[in-house]
Amino acid sequence: MSSVEEVVCQVFGAEPGSIDAGSSPESVEGWDSMGHLNLLAALEKRFNVSIDIGDVMEMVSVRRIREILLDYGVRG
Amino acid sequence: MEQRDKLKEWIGAAEVTLLEHGDDATAERFAWLASGLLRRSPDKLWDLLREATREDLDKVPGIEGLLERLAQALIAAGRLGEASDLAQAATRWQLRLGGAVHRQLAQAHLRAGQPVRAEETVRDLLKRDAADADAVRLLYRLLREGGRPAEAHGLLDRLVELDPTAATATFAHRERAKLPEAGGRPVRIALLSSYVIDPLVPFLDAGCRRAGLTPAFYVGPFNQYTQEALNPGSGLYAFAPEIVFVALDLEDLFPAVRGVPSAEELAQGREEICGKIGTLVRELHARSSALIVVHELAPTGRSPHGILDNRRADGLARFVEEVNRDLAQALATQAHTFLLPLREALRRAGGERGQGRKLWYMARMRHGDAALHELARASMRYVKPLKGLTRKCVVVDLDNTLWGGVVGEAGADGIHLGPTAPGVEFVELQEALLNLTKRGILLAVCSKNNPDDVLPVLREHKHMVLREEHFSALRINWRNKAENLAEIAVELNIGLDALVFLDDNPVERELVRQMLPEVLTVEMPKDASQYRATLEDLTDFELLALTREDELRVSQYQANRRRQALEHSSGSLDDYLHSLEIRAEIGRAAAHHVPRLVQMFNKTNQFNTTTRRYQTPDVERFITSPAHQIYVLDVADRFGEHGLVGTAVVREDGEAWVIDNVLLSCRAMGLSVETSLLKHIHDAARARGVARLVGEFAPTKKNAPCADFYQRHGFRHDGDESGSQVWVLDPRVDRVEDPAWITVTVTGAPA
Repeated sequence: MSSVEEVVCQVFGAEPGSIDAGSSPESVEGWDSMGHLNLLAALEKRFNVSIDIGDVMEMVSVRRIREILLDYGVRG
Repeated sequence: MEQRDKLKEWIGAAEVTLLEHGDDATAERFAWLASGLLRRSPDKLWDLLREATREDLDKVPGIEGLLERLAQALIAAGRLGEASDLAQAATRWQLRLGGAVHRQLAQAHLRAGQPVRAEETVRDLLKRDAADADAVRLLYRLLREGGRPAEAHGLLDRLVELDPTAATATFAHRERAKLPEAGGRPVRIALLSSYVIDPLVPFLDAGCRRAGLTPAFYVGPFNQYTQEALNPGSGLYAFAPEIVFVALDLEDLFPAVRGVPSAEELAQGREEICGKIGTLVRELHARSSALIVVHELAPTGRSPHGILDNRRADGLARFVEEVNRDLAQALATQAHTFLLPLREALRRAGGERGQGRKLWYMARMRHGDAALHELARASMRYVKPLKGLTRKCVVVDLDNTLWGGVVGEAGADGIHLGPTAPGVEFVELQEALLNLTKRGILLAVCSKNNPDDVLPVLREHKHMVLREEHFSALRINWRNKAENLAEIAVELNIGLDALVFLDDNPVERELVRQMLPEVLTVEMPKDASQYRATLEDLTDFELLALTREDELRVSQYQANRRRQALEHSSGSLDDYLHSLEIRAEIGRAAAHHVPRLVQMFNKTNQFNTTTRRYQTPDVERFITSPAHQIYVLDVADRFGEHGLVGTAVVREDGEAWVIDNVLLSCRAMGLSVETSLLKHIHDAARARGVARLVGEFAPTKKNAPCADFYQRHGFRHDGDESGSQVWVLDPRVDRVEDPAWITVTVTGAPA
C-alpha cells in the first residue's frame, strides 16, 4: 500500500486493502466536498507540503494525487 | 551465469576480509541466509527461530527487522498460527514488532473468519501502544461488525481523542449514524453563522458523546442567521434548540476592516456590530428558551498600520479589543447569554489561520482542524453545565500527585514541594485546586499511605497550600481505590458521576476506569510540570452562574462533619434532630432566585420528583405566570446555613393544584425539611378551598430517595399517567404536619 492510499484509508476510515490507485470520490464513502478538504489537510500534514488550490481541484483519484505530489517533490 | 560467479567471488572476498578482522562472521552469514529463507520458506526459518533465547537472537544483526519481515511473510503465506506464535514470542523476547504487523495479522485473522483471534491481536497491540489510532479503527470495525454497539461507541470516543482531526471526527460522526444509539441524555444544539460552520459539528458530536450525551444538531443555512432569528417559522425554531451558538466573523459583519478605516468609521462599526448582535440575541430570546452563546470577534490578517498599530486611535488591535469589550458588557446584562472567548481558543490552536485561509477561499470555512478542536472544547464548557454535568468533587492522590516523591520513603522533609523546582509545579497544582473550591468544587484525598506519614504533611508542611480542612473526605489506607472512591461519593452524598480522579499511577487509573466508569479519571501526564494545565483544561467545572450556595458549599461540608460528630454523640435520632435547631424559611420565588433554581433543576438527581429540567426562561415564566406558583426553601441550623436547598413548582389546573416538581438538594436530605415545604403548599391550597392536591412522581434511575415522598405524607395513589405516578390528597380533609424539630418562617405575602 502506498502512503497516499494509507492516508485515504485513515481519512475515510476505509477497510485497509479496499483503496487502490483507481480509488476516487465515486468509490469511497465519505469522499465528498467536505471529505476532500479533510483529505487535503491530512495529505499536507503527512507530506509536509502546502498544495495549491488549482491542484486541490485536480485531486480526483489516488493515482492523480500521487502525480500531483510528485510536482511538489514528494513520492506518495 | 557470469553474474552468479561474480557474486561468489564477492562472497569469498567478503569472508576473507571478515576473517582478517578476527570475526568468525557467523552472525552475518546467518542474517544473510535468513533473508534468503525468508523469501523461499518462511515457515522453515520460523522453525529454526522459535525455540531461540533472547541471547541467541541478540547476536543476529537487525533481528527486529528480520522478525518483522518474517511475520509479514508468514501472514502472506497464510501461516497465521505461526505468525501469532511469532508475535507472542517477540513479546517474550522483549523485541518490538511494528504496529503495522500486528494490524496485518489481525486483518488476516478476520479474513480467515477468526474474529476472536483478530480481536485478541488488536487488544494485545493496544495494551502495548494505547495511542495506535489505526489499531483503534480496526478494533472499532471488529466490534461494529460483531454487533457490540456500546463498546463500538466507546472506541469512537477514544479514536477522536487520539486523533482530533476533522477527518477522524467526521468519520466517527458518520459511523454513529450506523450504530444503534448509545442511550445518553439528548441535547439539541444549533449553530448560526456568517460562514460555513458545518465542520464544527463532528467535533461537537465527539465532545457531547464523551460527556455521555446524545446530541442532535441544526446548522442554519449559510449566512442566513438574521432570517433564522427573525422568522418564527424558521428551521431553527422548528428544531427547538436548547443551546444556540452564534458564530459571526468580524470581516463579514464589518467588511471595511479589511481596508484602512478611519477612527470615525471604526467607532461607527463598533456601534453597528453591537447593535446587530444585541438585536439578534433579543430576537432569539423572544422566540426560544435556548442558552445563547455568541462567539467573540477575532481579526483575520495583520494590521495595515504595521508596528504603528498600537500607537494609533484607529489601530486594529485596539478596535478588536474594544468591540469585544462592548459585546461582553452588552451580553452580560442579558440572562442566559454568553460570549465565548474565541480568541483564546484560536491562540491555543496555535493561531493556525494559514490552513484556515485556504479553507476560506475554497469553501467559506474559517477554521482548520486545530481551531475546530479547541472551539469544540470551549463550546462544551457551556453545554456541560446546561445539562447539569458539572463535576462536584476532585479526588486526589498524594505521592507524586500533590507533591513530588513518596512521603513514606522520603519523609515529610524529603518530598518535593516548595518555591523552587522540583516542587513548585506541585505548589501550582495545589493552588489551582484551591481556586476550584472558590466556585464550590469539593476536594477529597484517596491515597495508599500510612496516615501517620501523611497527616503531618497535611497539617504542618510549610509549603502545603491545601490543608486537612480543605478536604471534605479523606481515605488514607491501603485498600482498593475504587472502593475508597465509592465510599467518598456516599460520604459526600454525591453521585460517582460527580467525581474527578487525579492520580499519577496508570495502574490505579486503569483500575478506577474499569470499576467506576462514571468517575472522570484524568489521564495525568508523566511530566508534573503539565499537571496544572491538565487540571485547568478540564471542561467539567463550569457553572452558568455562581450562586451563594456554590460559595458556601465547602464550609457546609465542614459543618457537616461537625453535624456527624453530634449525631454520633446523640442518644437518638430525635434528640439529634432537635439539637440541630433547624430553621426553615419558605416563600415564593423572586427574580434573584432564578440562577440558583436553574442550577437545582439541572443538577439535582436524587430528590427530584419528576426530573423536569427547567431553564432560565421556564423559571422566569413560573414566577410571573398567574397559573403557577414556585416556592423556595432556605434552611439553616446551629452549624450554619444550608442556603436555598429546596423548591417546588405548583400548577393550577382547573379545580386542582398539581405539584409539578419538588426538589431537595442532597445536603438537606434527612432533616424532613421537605415535609415543611409540602405542608406550606398544602396550607396554601387549603386556604384557597382546593379539593384536589395532586403530586406527580416520575421514577428515574437516581430518584429512589423521593419515591415514597407522597405516600408517606398521606397521598393516595390514583393511577399512572404517561410514565408518572399520580398521587392525590384532599386538603380540606387531609392534614400534613410540620416536624416538631423544625422552626418554620414564612416570608413574603401568603399565596
